[in-house]
Amino acid sequence: MADLEFERQALAHIDALYNFAMYLTKRPPDADDLVQETYLRAFRFSHRFQPGTHLRAWLFQILRNTFLTFYRVRERESPIAEDGVPEWDVPMFHHAPENDGTAMEAHTDLERAMRHLPEEFRTVLLLAEVEGLPLEEVARVMACPVGTVKSRIFRAKERLRGLLRDYETK
Amino acid sequence: MSDRFDESSDETLGRRLSGELRRYTAPPRLRVTILDAASPPRRRPAWLAPLLAAAATTMLVALVVLPVLPRVVPADPVDRYMRAVVSEHARTLMWGARHSEILPAALPWLTQESGIALPQVFVGDERLEFVAAEPVYLERQRGVAIHYRDVDGHMLTYIALPAAAGLTIPEPNRVQIGRWRPALLRDSGFAAWVWKQKDVACFLISDMVSADDVETFKEYFARVRATTEPVPAY
Repeated sequence: MADLEFERQALAHIDALYNFAMYLTKRPPDADDLVQETYLRAFRFSHRFQPGTHLRAWLFQILRNTFLTFYRVRERESPIAEDGVPEWDVPMFHHAPENDGTAMEAHTDLERAMRHLPEEFRTVLLLAEVEGLPLEEVARVMACPVGTVKSRIFRAKERLRGLLRDYETK
Repeated sequence: MSDRFDESSDETLGRRLSGELRRYTAPPRLRVTILDAASPPRRRPAWLAPLLAAAATTMLVALVVLPVLPRVVPADPVDRYMRAVVSEHARTLMWGARHSEILPAALPWLTQESGIALPQVFVGDERLEFVAAEPVYLERQRGVAIHYRDVDGHMLTYIALPAAAGLTIPEPNRVQIGRWRPALLRDSGFAAWVWKQKDVACFLISDMVSADDVETFKEYFARVRATTEPVPAY
């Protein structure tokens, strides 16, 4: 696949990737960085993409892997400084306080509940229910068996229902 | 709303997620930023770096090797002499004579420097004006060069060198001029009369190459040949 053609096809999914990144990082600047890094990696390793397979799922996989890589780095680095932020730099995907004006604001209880789900549950619901990816593709993105995906969807919905009930009772 | 949650089956919840959950759209500048960030490495062809490296290596090798490569020189002694004489005449046309000496006052000095004695020498007449005389070093031999300018502005150079062994005047190029039979050779836009005078190789070169000029050039040869006698001094 020619570079320009690959870029054109990949950039057609930028909105879906950005939406996914927003629910993962919860902050627009971090979502920007995550999507940009995802595309740069995709362009750099475009020769590894197998034409005929699902490009969107491949991009979601790169995005999630990138997020987990930086997120885990942040998780290891944060205890170094007292305020959780290393003094030499602000790490990517640092969880800033939500009232700092840059965090994504929840407009509905559903959105609020999604933000409180663990990453595995959030991802599986976003990919399977929001983006409509087949379970096989979701399994590929999350690097787990299809059975695990089904189990996570079930448990994610259970947790989501519980959160929504809590919001309703409050 | 409570009704919705009470009856929220998996299917209903799935529909709510796909239908009600807010979707975020990528800001337009993000696409531009991505393309800008990806452009520099993508637009440089993959083959460019190795090609440039190979070209640079080739040039370096050429610079190192070329000076030590044996030069292609003509096998024929006459051709070698001719090339050297043409170069000397062209140098004179561009830069002038290195020394401008007055004949015959400079003859002793010329003989000492060139190894060629000139018991008789053509010092010019109403058609050919003497310009300069100087020692030269051509084909690894010392010799003498005398420069003239004719009334039409043509520069002529007379060169006398010790004749190398094997130097033979090519018969097909010989032209009868009075009692002499010099050869007329052409090279690089110049014409030259070539002859041997005992053990000395003589050349009279000019840019007179057209048919009319060659006739005049014959007269100039006759004037120089009749009144110039080079001999090895040592």
